Amino acid sequence: MKKFLLNCLVIVAILSSQAARAIACAVCLSGSGDGADGYNASLLFLMSTPYLVVGAIAGGLVVTYRRAQRRREQAEDGMTSGWNQEESGR
Amino acid sequence: MAKDSAARKLTETPSLKVVKRPGFGGGEPPPPVRPNTPIGTNAWLGTVMFLGAEAMFFAGLIGAFLVFRIGSPVWPPPFQPRLPTGITGINTMILLASAVTMHLALRAGRRGERRRLVRSLSWTASLGAIFLVVQGYEWLRLLEFGLTVSSSVYGGLFYTLIGFHAAHVLGALIWLVMVGFNARRGKYTRQNHTGLQTCSMYWTFVVALWPVLYGLVYLY
Repeated sequence: MKKFLLNCLVIVAILSSQAARAIACAVCLSGSGDGADGYNASLLFLMSTPYLVVGAIAGGLVVTYRRAQRRREQAEDGMTSGWNQEESGR
Repeated sequence: MAKDSAARKLTETPSLKVVKRPGFGGGEPPPPVRPNTPIGTNAWLGTVMFLGAEAMFFAGLIGAFLVFRIGSPVWPPPFQPRLPTGITGINTMILLASAVTMHLALRAGRRGERRRLVRSLSWTASLGAIFLVVQGYEWLRLLEFGLTVSSSVYGGLFYTLIGFHAAHVLGALIWLVMVGFNARRGKYTRQNHTGLQTCSMYWTFVVALWPVLYGLVYLY
């Protein structure tokens, strides 16, 4: 698993070290200018939003699951704490 | 041998400090705990997904706003009416206060305090209604000053973004009123208050979205 992750990291590092070529990109606007800046900023925002939304949902689910797990464990502890030799009658 | 073991049993005093867990020489096993208890109801999960879709919807509108806002050398464009940032700032505080009362309502619902729940929901609905009324009044004034949907890109963006948010607030308000009626009838209990919870989630989303829109459209 660690080796696989390391390999992925190396591949990502190699790809990101290449100079960006946005000429063939139909959406990106090259060059300077206010119009290009506006489109690029909007694109960056829109590309990042799904990750933010999914991350927030996933984070919320993790927190809810852990809270439910803690409540379940507390309920179990509460149920077994009274089951000692005295109360069971053995 | 049998006598020895019997004698040992008679002489042995059980240590009260040692609590043997059930199944390990202890007492009766406890009632089984349901191992697959869901962490949330289907309605809760559905609301989460719906809010994700709503977030993406508003992200699209904000993206469109950013194209024109960042792409314009001068903003607001010349000869456009100025937006009422002051009064809308106060309106923002009113809407944020409604989120607090909504949280208090949810807490009362979780505790089974019906009267407190109904009172908090009434406050939330009132604050939401005040927000909408003030927004509507400001819009009428802007229309008088000539800022309409078709007057300019500025007007179109403003009414689209703020208008969709106001429509969401109106929808949330209608939902809230229905939840309030249900709460008054005693529909929500400590064990089951899913309707209240999902309404609270939607209201919180709508309120949390407003400062972002206010900052972008009115202040930026």
